[in-house]
Amino acid sequence: MKNVVKKGIVLLFTASLILVLGACGGKSAGSGGAAQAEAGSAGTGSVIVGSKDFTENEIVAEIYALALEDAGFTVERKMNIAGSVVHTSITSAEIDIYPEYTGTGLITILGMEALTDQDAVYNSVKEAYNERFNITWLDYAEANDGQGLFISKKASDEYGITNISQLQANADKLRFCSQGEFDEREDGIPGLTKLYGEFNWKSSKIYDNGLKWEVVDNDEADVATAYTTEARLTETDKFVLLEDDKHMWPPYNLAPIVRNEVLEKYPEIADILNKVSAALDTETITKLNAQVDIEGEEYEDVALDFYKNIK
Amino acid sequence: MIQKIGEYIAAHPQQLAGQIAAHIGISLIALLAAALIGIPCGCLAAGIRKGESIIAAPFEMLRVVPSLAVLILLIPVMGTGIPPAVTALTILAIPPVLLNTVVGFRSIPDFMIESARGIGMTERELFRRVKVPAALPMILAGLRTALVEVVASTTLAAKIGAGGLGEIIFTGLGLYRMDLLVLGGGLVAILSLVSGGVFDILTRRLFRYKYV
Repeated sequence: MKNVVKKGIVLLFTASLILVLGACGGKSAGSGGAAQAEAGSAGTGSVIVGSKDFTENEIVAEIYALALEDAGFTVERKMNIAGSVVHTSITSAEIDIYPEYTGTGLITILGMEALTDQDAVYNSVKEAYNERFNITWLDYAEANDGQGLFISKKASDEYGITNISQLQANADKLRFCSQGEFDEREDGIPGLTKLYGEFNWKSSKIYDNGLKWEVVDNDEADVATAYTTEARLTETDKFVLLEDDKHMWPPYNLAPIVRNEVLEKYPEIADILNKVSAALDTETITKLNAQVDIEGEEYEDVALDFYKNIK
Repeated sequence: MIQKIGEYIAAHPQQLAGQIAAHIGISLIALLAAALIGIPCGCLAAGIRKGESIIAAPFEMLRVVPSLAVLILLIPVMGTGIPPAVTALTILAIPPVLLNTVVGFRSIPDFMIESARGIGMTERELFRRVKVPAALPMILAGLRTALVEVVASTTLAAKIGAGGLGEIIFTGLGLYRMDLLVLGGGLVAILSLVSGGVFDILTRRLFRYKYV
């Protein structure tokens, strides 16, 4: 009996060893294949485009990929990489290009002090990335996916509110829909109060984040928080995004970032992607998000339609 | 941690008092509603053969749906705020009240009813002076169970803007701040225990004769 068990264990062990070795072999063969493919298409060049794991970033990455393919590149796509991992992927050369946000680069990746001027943020990250990571930030798009506040169209018309200063002046007539954390976070109400003055809301209630659009749409609150490119902001007959007129929040402009090694090899990438960035503003991106998140289209199709239009 | 909790309390005293008041208020309204529906239905069910399965079963089926789902399902019908929160909590609280009422009435010894009839009580007198007092301890036990459950679940009301101590808990979750989670969770637990205790004291007063 004992012998049988022993034999079984040895067998299992051998089997798993073979499996592991087999997997390793497969992997090395795979990367060998990729290298061959690269060598084979050296005339036009091949790059790997990555993206983070949410709709907007996937759409933009797909547009980059389409533009590069159009210029004759062979593009490998590695979409849907977790936001916390994507930076490591590019520094370890798993990917060559992905769309990043200037604010994320500055605050999350570099851990630098938050700035609020678009160019200042862009120049800081461009310089630091080049020095530290050997990565180039190409031109940034006007599109800004940052923190924001929106108000119901009705309240906006009634009190003439289109920016946060006007909101602060009229706060006593407005009902605020919070998610709780916004009242406490340093870049939430406390920060807004320091910059714009006290917000004496008529009422401030906490709702689940997923409910904010319904709550404002059903006239149970007037003001809520949102990211500036959230899909439902396309419903401009219901919601108005408020302008951050005193620049409370750092800008989160979209820009392609490319490994220097790749850019030196194929300098034409800069022109190709800068042309894409020039066509992306906040409103456009919000619409593209809505096509995927609200209308349920595939991000690849949305990117393709958009690219055909700007080509 | 304790220092952080202290700082938070010191910085938001009014807000905190409001949240505790809202929490107690919502819980009590839900309990009252559950009593108003559960006790009469239980009374009725006790009088009918297989009454539980006819009257209590529907409420039990409703109870199976998680309160959080009920809250969100009610939004298209009732909007947000206190009414849907109270409705969801009432659904949660009805079964213990109803079932205990049924058991309370069913477990009255036959001799009590027979003796009451024997001394010439009318059905109405029998109900008011014998059946209700005999069933009351069970009914109150059901209310107590419901109360403790409701106080704990009122936390969810904060998801739909009805207020209460859930606000602190959800804020703590969003910011990953342990001090807020401990404060909010702790206060709910204390409130739940205290409400049970207060209920016990009231029960003792009501039935002083039982504890002589």
